[in-house]
Order: sequence, then C-alpha cells, then structure tokens
Amino acid sequence: MTEPRAGGATPSSDEILRVDHLSKTFRTGLLGRRVEAVRDVSFTMRQGQVLGYLGPNGSGKTTSIKCLLGLIQPSAGDISLFGLPSRDPMARARIGYMPEHPYFYDYLKPTEVLDYVGQLFGLDADTRKRRIPMLLERLGLGHAMDRTLRGFSKGMLQRVGIAQSLLNDPDLLIFDEPMSGLDPVGRKELRDLMVELRDEGRSLFLTSHILSDVESVCDSVVILNQGVAIAEGPLDSLLRRDKLFSAATLKVPDEAAISALQQLLSAWPEAGVDQVTEGVMTLRLPSGAVPQLSARAAEVGATLVELHPVRDTLEELFMRKAVTGATAGAEGSDAPDGGGAR
Amino acid sequence: MSAHKTRYAGVTLQVTGPRASLNRISAVMGNTLREAGRTRLFYGVLGVAVLLLLGSVVLSDLALVDQQARLVQDFGLFTIPLITVLTGVILGVALLQKEIEKKTLYAILPKPVRRSEFLLGKYFGLCTLLLLEMAALSLCWFAVLTLRGGAVTGPILSALLLSYVEVMLVTAIATFFSALSSPMLSGLLTLGMFAIGRIAYVVIDLMSATKGVFAEVPAMRALGRVIVAVVPDLSAFNVSDELLLGWDVPPEYVLQAMGYGLSYAAIFLVLGLLVFERRDLT
Repeated sequence: MTEPRAGGATPSSDEILRVDHLSKTFRTGLLGRRVEAVRDVSFTMRQGQVLGYLGPNGSGKTTSIKCLLGLIQPSAGDISLFGLPSRDPMARARIGYMPEHPYFYDYLKPTEVLDYVGQLFGLDADTRKRRIPMLLERLGLGHAMDRTLRGFSKGMLQRVGIAQSLLNDPDLLIFDEPMSGLDPVGRKELRDLMVELRDEGRSLFLTSHILSDVESVCDSVVILNQGVAIAEGPLDSLLRRDKLFSAATLKVPDEAAISALQQLLSAWPEAGVDQVTEGVMTLRLPSGAVPQLSARAAEVGATLVELHPVRDTLEELFMRKAVTGATAGAEGSDAPDGGGAR
Repeated sequence: MSAHKTRYAGVTLQVTGPRASLNRISAVMGNTLREAGRTRLFYGVLGVAVLLLLGSVVLSDLALVDQQARLVQDFGLFTIPLITVLTGVILGVALLQKEIEKKTLYAILPKPVRRSEFLLGKYFGLCTLLLLEMAALSLCWFAVLTLRGGAVTGPILSALLLSYVEVMLVTAIATFFSALSSPMLSGLLTLGMFAIGRIAYVVIDLMSATKGVFAEVPAMRALGRVIVAVVPDLSAFNVSDELLLGWDVPPEYVLQAMGYGLSYAAIFLVLGLLVFERRDLT
C-alpha cells in the first residue's frame, strides 16, 4: 500500500521507493516560459506492491519516471530507490524499466539487444546465454530470435522491452504505459504477465492514462492531474470497495414524491440523485439503505422499477477527484487530498 | 568488488568496481562500433578514399619518374588524415543526438550505467572504428606506394600515428559539441575548430610579430590569445614537411605531440562529460 510521506522519517526495511516533494519545472520557448510538469508529489512504495501511477496525457507521469530514473534532474524534492539516491546508477541495478516507446537498436536481433543490456547489468556470459533464450521464449519471441528488430511489430517490440526489463531479475519493474498501442489480445497477455510477475513477488510501478487497464492489477494508485497528485492510496479504500452501493430507478408520481425521496437520501453523504426525467428518477445510495428507500417509496406512491449493485471504477474516482482538485485549485490550494491512505 | 545478488533465479550482477565499469564502457564501445560500422556513410567515405588513393597512381603518371613515389606519398599523407578526420566529425557530432532522437538512450541510461561510461564507450567505439578505417586506407596506400617504387619508412609510420592522435583529438572535440548542441551546429563548430587548429601556427607567428593586425589592434590581439589558449595547434601532428625534406621524425617529438594531443582530447572529453552529466534528457 502507499504510505503517507513522513518527512525525515527513517525508511522502513521493505520500502523500495520514496518520492519526497518532487517538483519539475521546464522552461520553454524563447522567453523561457515556466511549465510546471510535476508539483510537490510525494509517495512511497513497499516491496511486493503494485502501484498504478495514473493520470491523463500530460499529467506528469513520464516526467516523474524520468526523474526517478535519473534521466532528468528534479527542480525540487528527493527520490530514493532502495535507500540510494535515484541518480546513483547502482540503485538502478535492481530495477527493470520498459519505456513507453521501446525503441532499441533496430539493426540488432532481440538476442543481441538482450546481450548488450546483460553486459550493462554486469551479467556474466554464461548467465546471459542461459537467461536470454529463456526470457525470449517466455515472452513468445522464440520464433523471432534471429530476426532484426527492424521488422518487428509494435507488440513484438513491447515484448522485447519487457524481456530486457526482466533480464537482471529485478525487484522493481517500472513499465511506462505498457498497454499503449497493443491490440486487445496483447493487452490481455500483458495483464496476465503483470499478474504473474506480481505473484512472483516483484514490485510493479505502472503508468497508464487508460485507467481501466491497470485497475485489475494494481493494489494501490497515485492519480496525477496537471502535475499534482490528486489521489493516493490503496485501491480498495479509494474505490470504497468496503462499502456496497446500489443504483435504483423509480417511477415517481409528482414533485412532492421527488422531494420526499431527496430528503431521505440526504441522510447518507455518499447517496445522491443522478437524474430525474419525465417521472423517472435514478439515484444511488448505500446498499444498506435500500429497505428504507423501498419503504419511503411506497409511502409517497413511487414504484421501484430497477435496482442493481454498483462499484466505483478508477475512471469515476478520477473524475470525482479531478473535479474536487479543480475546485480546490480555484480556491488557491494545489495540495493533494491524500486519498484514502492518509 | 561487491555484487548484488537477487532472490529469484540466482542471478549475480556485478555493478560496482573498476572492472564492472570497464565492462560497461566496453559494451557501449562494442555497440557503437557495430552501429557506426553499419552506416552507409562510413562505407561511402571509405570507398571514396580508396578511389582517391588508387587515383593517385594515375596522377603519379603525370609526374617525373623519380617523383612518382613522392607524389603518392604526399597524396596519401594528405588524404588519409583528412578523410579520417571528416569521418570522425560526421559520426562524432551525431554520437549522442542520434541516441536521443531515436530514443535508444532512454532504454540504456536507466540501467546501472554512468553517463560518463556511456559517453566514453561511444567515444572509444568511434575511435576504434576510425583506427580501422585509417588502417584499411593505409594498407591501400602502402600497396600503391610500393607499386610506385616507394617504401614504408619509420617516419611515414610516425606521421600516421600522429595523424591518428589528431583524429582522436578532433573526435573528442566533436563529442564535446555533440553533448552541447545539435549535430549541424556541432559539425560547424568542430570543423571551425579543426580549420583554425590547422592554421593556429600562423596565428602564433602573427602574435609574435612586431607589426601587423595581431600586433597593433588590441581586440585582434585578445582574439589571438583566446585562439592560442583554446584551440589546439593541430599543425603539431603534421610532419609532411619533414617527410618531404627526407628528415627524420624524432621519437621524442612523436611522444611529445602524442602527449599534447591526448591531453587536449582528455580536456574536451571531460568538458563533454560535465555537460552531458547535467543535461536533462527530456
């Protein structure tokens, strides 16, 4: 689970990633206009955790990853990986990284790419010889080992990207937009692989702008919007999976019945009316309140025509938090709301 | 040397210590050599150079009989360093930009590789390729020279050695500019440095004269001082006059010139490393 950051606290033994008040500002154009790509983002990650780093395009996900991997210097804040500063190359020995667009040397064969990467990781020749074919087979590239990458499809390049990220047998895998450009079959296979990697005990840091793609894999999330973390915490808690909700559709005879039902719903903060059109009212309420709704509906002459359980999705969570964040921003606050984990 | 051992498959990673660092530099070097060796441009330049050298056979027919070998010798001493330096500039200025534009760098630098190791690997990979190019051209030249009654002498080998040091120095300058700016600008700046470096001795002479623009105009004198201080004197690697006059090239001079060239190359590489180390790879 993600942990609320505690400034100056000693990192616990299973903490593998700590991001403290990360900010990155770029200067663009001739006048050096300031663009704040990431603003005061903080979170931690523990061993075995699968963290979704989510947000729409341009929200600061890739910038954060580049800071994390030492490709760009943060304007402010600290990042530590396995207790070492992120710019220390040795911290990266335990990481497997797959970039959003896995561009490799297209004149090389996948075996040659992996051999090169293996040398950079300091793997001896015997280990490379043993692991490279094994990984390529595991990722379904056994048939293409002797072809250069020039003729590879996007999906095949993605697999090479994953294979090279697993070569050093990493503790932490960082996948930047892993589903990007994959067909439905490819997405399903990649999801299965990520579950497999998670079950092997590895930690995964995934970014995606397609929230539903990672919902089934992640156990916690950080959601970014315009460079600010607008939600952070365990997915179950953020999606309120501990609470059951129901959506109900009722036929209402008149305005008085609508008012009566609205008054009933005001007793539960999470409840609310979604729509009222031509005598049909749709609403949402905690499942435990359904008997009261049913009784009140009978009293005011309304008829319950449909009732089904509903679950929050990441998209809904994002929209809710984004709207809240925008309101908070308008009021002069950019601070993340901390989500359910705080 | 310590090693990090992972839990899953008994994989041992050797990431610390000088040997691990050398292995990474050598891996980048090998890949650079392989990449540069596959460029059409490289083989195009090599082909043109070989044609020029063979063309010197035809050209030497126009010379007096006892001057034929000398013409081939002079032609080779002019062509081989120039072609190799130009190859170094063309490939060197794109050394980092190509990796950034093709985004291959983003898959490599997140590995436990220091930027300095990456840059040195790229530089030495290119230098190895240029050494091979120079060796191939020299062999071709030696054949032509022998055909025209010449001989491969010690001074000729010294001249080639010094030319290679010049190639290493100019490639280091190209690498420095490559870490700083676009390939086009880097190319212009490197060629500018190369041209000024080749005539730096003229500036030094003019500076020591009592008359003339460098002696009389303070701004030009200041410019001259900057040129002398910043731009390496590449004429130090040109011993064609000595060869023409049949003089010997003393080993002490060769060592001194090598030390001069390699020190300058090291300075440009360190400057390149400092720039590259701080550069945001967006």
